[in-house]
Amino acid sequence: MMRNDPIKHVFIWPAVLVVLAISIFPLIYSLTTSFLSYRLIPPMPPRVVWLGNYVQLLQEPRFWNAILTTTLIAVIAVGLQYVIGFSVALALNARIPGERLFRVAFLLPMLLAPVAVALVARMMFNPTMGPLNQLLSQFGLVNLPFLTNGRWALACIIAVEVWQWTPFVILMLLAGLQTLPEDVYEAAELENASNWQQFWGITFPMMLPISAAVVFIRLIESYKIMDTVFVMTGGGPGVDTETLTLFAYQEGFKKFNLGYTSALSFLFLIAITIIGVTYLALLRPHLEKRR
Amino acid sequence: MSAKSVRGLSPWSRRFIALGCLAWCLITIFPLYWVVVTAFKTPPGVVGGPTYIPFIDFTPTLQPFIDLYEGIRGAFFHTFLNSTMVGLSAALIATAVGAMAAYALVRFEFKVRLGAGLVFFAIALGGYLAFNAYLGLTRPQALLSAFPLALLLSIIANRVPLPGPILGNEDILFWFVSQRMFPPIVTAFALYLLYSEIGRLGFQLIDSFVGLTLCYIAFSLPIVVWLMRDFFEALPIEVEEAAMVDNVPSWRIFLGIVVPMSMNGLIATFMITLAFVWNEFLFALFLTNSRWQTLPILVAGQNSQRGDEWWAISAAALVAIVPMMVMAALLSRMMRSGMLLGAIK
Repeated sequence: MMRNDPIKHVFIWPAVLVVLAISIFPLIYSLTTSFLSYRLIPPMPPRVVWLGNYVQLLQEPRFWNAILTTTLIAVIAVGLQYVIGFSVALALNARIPGERLFRVAFLLPMLLAPVAVALVARMMFNPTMGPLNQLLSQFGLVNLPFLTNGRWALACIIAVEVWQWTPFVILMLLAGLQTLPEDVYEAAELENASNWQQFWGITFPMMLPISAAVVFIRLIESYKIMDTVFVMTGGGPGVDTETLTLFAYQEGFKKFNLGYTSALSFLFLIAITIIGVTYLALLRPHLEKRR
Repeated sequence: MSAKSVRGLSPWSRRFIALGCLAWCLITIFPLYWVVVTAFKTPPGVVGGPTYIPFIDFTPTLQPFIDLYEGIRGAFFHTFLNSTMVGLSAALIATAVGAMAAYALVRFEFKVRLGAGLVFFAIALGGYLAFNAYLGLTRPQALLSAFPLALLLSIIANRVPLPGPILGNEDILFWFVSQRMFPPIVTAFALYLLYSEIGRLGFQLIDSFVGLTLCYIAFSLPIVVWLMRDFFEALPIEVEEAAMVDNVPSWRIFLGIVVPMSMNGLIATFMITLAFVWNEFLFALFLTNSRWQTLPILVAGQNSQRGDEWWAISAAALVAIVPMMVMAALLSRMMRSGMLLGAIK
């Protein structure tokens, strides 16, 4: 099966080199910078402060606020995506009428630029000229503060996330549903198991590995959220919807506080790693039982 | 893939399910419909409150698009070209380089000692600090000279029987894919600093085609390697074995047999990569400012520039969206083979 031919190096090295150069390289750079007090504006010569930046960050309420906001967006949005996505995937798998049309429609949002989607969302959520306002006005809810009130804004961002990324969940789960073996369901039919029992007894457990992978991908991606928030609220009102990436951007690109921002991005990296490892550790017993 | 989960469903619940799907479909489609109609409205048609149906509710006009083309709201035509060029070249190179690596990971055996990897990291980090502190090199100079040194020494270290586990192809794949987990802000910010310091040495990477494309290639590679590896693994090995009996060199097997056989996968991967690069915002925000600005940056800027001119903003968003809509239509045809399934295992 496996060959051994010196040419293999020609095949793999270009990719390894590019990834090494562009991702490991800056990592070392920002790791070392995170131990410095280093500002461009006003210009200051770098000074070693060791963990000073990290300590300062951990005492900064704005940092914890950003973590909380990002976690809220990620967890609620991914949860909704999973529930809606699973239902729609089940429905599509059940061969409902018009299934083919739905497939194309469901694929669309995830390929669109989040920036453009956020702009469209701003139009939809416009408190005076938007169609959503007109719809809700019919029910007596006039000029709701969609993007100007902290909680409403957070809910709107989550709604946009769900709108854009549920298709990804649908796509993956549908592909998984189509590989489930037929005979298990036939056996369940013989036992007179209801649809509800079949779902919880067969479909859901058998879909667990794929679900775990999909939720994992979406969770990690959601933690990086930036463009949607950047366009929809810019982190506002105040810092109510400021996510980690946006916070880092403000500190680094607006204030040019290099050491501080590097420390922030490293804390972010550590947080993502902890979340990822915890998630996998929590899930492992469930996944291995099925093997 | 049959009517298995339908068998027990009554006609009523089927209708109910179809209704639910229709509802979600409406939620998906309506914002898209909205942006399309708004782009053809005149300013009074927007400000007067929501209107829905062209020719009945309002008279459509092409003015927003003419304004865009004439550059009233920023150099759209130029930016569109930028996005196209960066997107196409990054996606093409990433697919080619990534497919090669993926093929190597499927068909050839690699052994990397964990020790060698640690040597690389230690020398890259230590060398950088030492060069910077003792040889008086500037930070990018130190980094750029520590990198080849670390690479060279770690390749040598890989030949020496170091203690510690030996990593195989699976681990190399994991390393590739784990790059995707990184919050891009970590890299984007460091890359910005690095690029600007290299720029001070006289080689401009910020706001340049090379700098942006290189960064996109690196960030698409993990996905490409991941998708293509599963695709190559599903290929029958017999054809390749037959060719090997005839002593056909490996690179000709790859180009002459493997690439044509996996054209579908390559095209799908190319399109997914293109979509990713086309829509990418954060790196473009950090690494460009005027000449090589891409569409997402310009579109995001529409918001604050001149206030809520929704007709123009819609037209701008549409320019960014339509190419991807076309691609979605093409991609959905290819999806039927279920090729993405392998990607998530």
